[in-house]
Amino acid sequence: MLQVCLSLFLCSGPSPAQGDCLAIRVGRAETISKGTLEHAVILVEDGKITAIGEDLPIERGVPVLDRPDWVVTPGLVNCRSRAGMDGNAARSFDPEQRASGELYPRQDVWQDLLDAGVTTLGLYPPGSGIPGQAVAVRPRGATAGEMIVEDGVYLQIYIGANPSLKKMLTDAFGKLDEYDEKVKKAREKWDKEQEQKKSKVKSKGKSETEEKKEGQQEEKKEGGEGQAQQEDKKDEGKKDDAKKADSAEAFVPPEPDPKVKPFVDLRDKRLPALMSINKAADYLHLLDAIDKREFLWSLHVPLRDDVDLYEVADKLGEKKVSVVLTPLVTLQPNTRRERNLPAELARAGAKVVLVPRGDGVAEHERWMFDVGRLVAAGLDRQAALAAVTLEAARVLGLEERLGSLDPGKDANLILWSGDPFEPQSRIQAVMLEGKIVSGEVGR
Amino acid sequence: MRMERTAWAGLLSLAWVSAGRAAWALPQEEQGGGEQAEGGGEGEPAEEDENGEERWFAIVGGDVYTGLGGALRGATLLARNGRILEIGRDLLLPEGTEVLDATGMRVYPGLVALDATSRISGGAFGPSLEEEEAEEGIDVHHEAEAGVQEALRALGAAQQETKDEIEDTFDPFSQYLVLALATGITTAEQQNVAVKLKRGEIEGILVCDKFQTSVVWSLSNPSSIKGAREKFAKASEYLRRYRAFEALPEKEKKEQKEPSKKGVDPGFLGILEGKTLARFNASAREELIGIARLAQEYHFRPVISGCQEGWTVAEELGRAGAYAVITPRDRNPKDESLVRPGGTSIENAAILWKSGVQVAIKPSSTAFDLGGITGRDLLALTVEAGFGVRGGLSEEAALQSITLVPARILGCDHRVGTLEVGKDLDAIVTDGDLLHYETFVQYAVVEGKLVYDKEKEIFFAHIRPRPKKPEPPATPETGVEPETDEGEGAGQEETSQDEKGEEGGS
Repeated sequence: MLQVCLSLFLCSGPSPAQGDCLAIRVGRAETISKGTLEHAVILVEDGKITAIGEDLPIERGVPVLDRPDWVVTPGLVNCRSRAGMDGNAARSFDPEQRASGELYPRQDVWQDLLDAGVTTLGLYPPGSGIPGQAVAVRPRGATAGEMIVEDGVYLQIYIGANPSLKKMLTDAFGKLDEYDEKVKKAREKWDKEQEQKKSKVKSKGKSETEEKKEGQQEEKKEGGEGQAQQEDKKDEGKKDDAKKADSAEAFVPPEPDPKVKPFVDLRDKRLPALMSINKAADYLHLLDAIDKREFLWSLHVPLRDDVDLYEVADKLGEKKVSVVLTPLVTLQPNTRRERNLPAELARAGAKVVLVPRGDGVAEHERWMFDVGRLVAAGLDRQAALAAVTLEAARVLGLEERLGSLDPGKDANLILWSGDPFEPQSRIQAVMLEGKIVSGEVGR
Repeated sequence: MRMERTAWAGLLSLAWVSAGRAAWALPQEEQGGGEQAEGGGEGEPAEEDENGEERWFAIVGGDVYTGLGGALRGATLLARNGRILEIGRDLLLPEGTEVLDATGMRVYPGLVALDATSRISGGAFGPSLEEEEAEEGIDVHHEAEAGVQEALRALGAAQQETKDEIEDTFDPFSQYLVLALATGITTAEQQNVAVKLKRGEIEGILVCDKFQTSVVWSLSNPSSIKGAREKFAKASEYLRRYRAFEALPEKEKKEQKEPSKKGVDPGFLGILEGKTLARFNASAREELIGIARLAQEYHFRPVISGCQEGWTVAEELGRAGAYAVITPRDRNPKDESLVRPGGTSIENAAILWKSGVQVAIKPSSTAFDLGGITGRDLLALTVEAGFGVRGGLSEEAALQSITLVPARILGCDHRVGTLEVGKDLDAIVTDGDLLHYETFVQYAVVEGKLVYDKEKEIFFAHIRPRPKKPEPPATPETGVEPETDEGEGAGQEETSQDEKGEEGGS
């Protein structure tokens, strides 16, 4: 199948020898999405992967990078980092703030991170409470704009067995409810006005009215989902629709307060949240605070020596929650008994994401080594690979665009001299969106 | 609100039991209607889980020490949704009942620990809060005067804050909580509030209805005694005037001014109203006599912590209806400059009990800590009660001193403290006499959920492991309790249930 695709593509496409086209033939490729491929061939064109498969034939004229000893993995994705940023902040409620505001492109650290294989970073705002939204960047570019892959990728929220943190979140949701109430009232008012207009212009055709009605219903479906209040609104809207006359302009809901807007986005599933907690009890308090509201969220738990997260492993597994963890074997509280929490969570069914132990370059350089220790201690190898690529991309909402070796995805690749978890392996080259940005590859 | 429901459930379940066994076939068919079935004859209180399902739990085959003086050999405790529905032999267990086999073991009510300073919830490291503590908000059924109500309302708000804080910081996975359960403690006082030691849950952990007002009454600080007297006098005077004002006909009421609340301490008002308990910390004979007289003067029941020389004035304390929270192992020599009897006595608990004082026992340290295994902290609560028995306290009274009496002090004896139909199924299963030093808690159950299994926790599993089934259940090493239900007809049936129980437990 792949072969057919490839040859079709090569026949019908523009001359392969020209343009930004490269075939990479390596001993092994870790695709993440489809397991490990031996004797893999990856075709890269215009910054994207266009084909990948075992022993694919390569059309004559396509430049080939032939390294039968090397291993290819997707570029590493660190979804939660403060690398290259130095801002500090206290506990605050600033959900509208964006970490992209403090992005500073001209630093050596970005190239160092590329050298360590990191091709995507999720940079989060400083502080505690609800300090703001993270930005996804590529560690390359002369301006902030060039670096940003996507802004506002998740809302950072700190929560736990702490009355004031819980209150911060419940208050925010309270404000959201207030806003919804406001929208509802505005809608009612608007409906009334429409009715008055209708009584003025009674002679309009029926068919037109019906068209309008459908249009409005669709618009509402887009508007809000999941919320009881929204549902009420819909019902009422339908009733009113029956009598409604057409009008030139559609209903425009009032603009939410900037501090409420992120929660509207959260509710409408346009913005996910990353919830930072410290222990198992915090998870229960988190559930208590969000009170069955449905939105997209992942968890972040910095692992220390005595995290009792295994207590809620089943619950996290059942919900298939993405859990961002530190690659560390920890101890059961009050004991010297080692527990491999990432492995336990992965086994329970949670989506494990691993980030480096710190924000420095050194921690990024030993990142894969740390993850390798977890693999040695029982973490599934494929889960470990996904934890630093595809699952991390999912936390950033970029899983459609990067994180695995699949046709159509960004060509973010690391060319390793051997197994990526092997401490002796070296990164030979790093490709970012089709360009070699680190290492030398003679053709 | 909560209390009301409990009462309801209790009443209705009594009715249920009396309705006879025929009804047992029904439970699965009950519809998940409202909170409480209205009237409907056989209709059951459809008090359900969040999922709308009924949760059945039974502890079978153990010798049940109810905490009221009786022991039922080889009895079954059946609970629905965490409340005890029936206690007896040969009970028919509804389908899907989770069964805990206690054959050859003893079943006691879960212990209640006073003053627990622990790391189970935040902010409860120190002793209780001061005067601010008083009253739990607005009780709609109380017919007190609006003016008094208003005075107490402010305290309710402060109290609510404490409760919220405990709820919002509760750690149901804390290792200290597991240690408490390993001791047999299922309810612990945190900042004057009774907290259920639920595991893995943060909902419904508060069970208190009554609160305490600390009253300082110390001979070493004579002004404290004067101050307390003044506060009682003022509160009492205010109440008297207010009642007189209330008794006036409507017309005159308008003309006269409502009595001023100025200088009246709402906490003391709460004591006189019977809404809060007065809590003293006193040990000297003179202090105790003073408190007893004060209590009789103002008609309230004092709770006295310490109470070391209580045995010398036991009669007075008994007449005052006092609660004593004592530590039998306390050692304090008599003041030799005085002729009168004094100092601590191992017999303190026994003498107080005989004189009608409600005796609660607590260890000298009220922390849960790994540093204190079989020391003088809460992990040695049962050992401490055992010292009461050494001094002559009856075993029943000793059991009540760590279950029912502290539950009364915390105002949660309608839910915990004994094993009775209608109360929560908070029970512990031990391998011997609870007060024996060798005895281990094998299982702990809170609201009909198994929350502790000695074999599955890291702390004590390796010490005298539980004998394996199906070997005949070993008599505990203490040798106190021989097998009693061996020859009974129900044996066969129970064995099959045991197996089920094991499956469910694993």
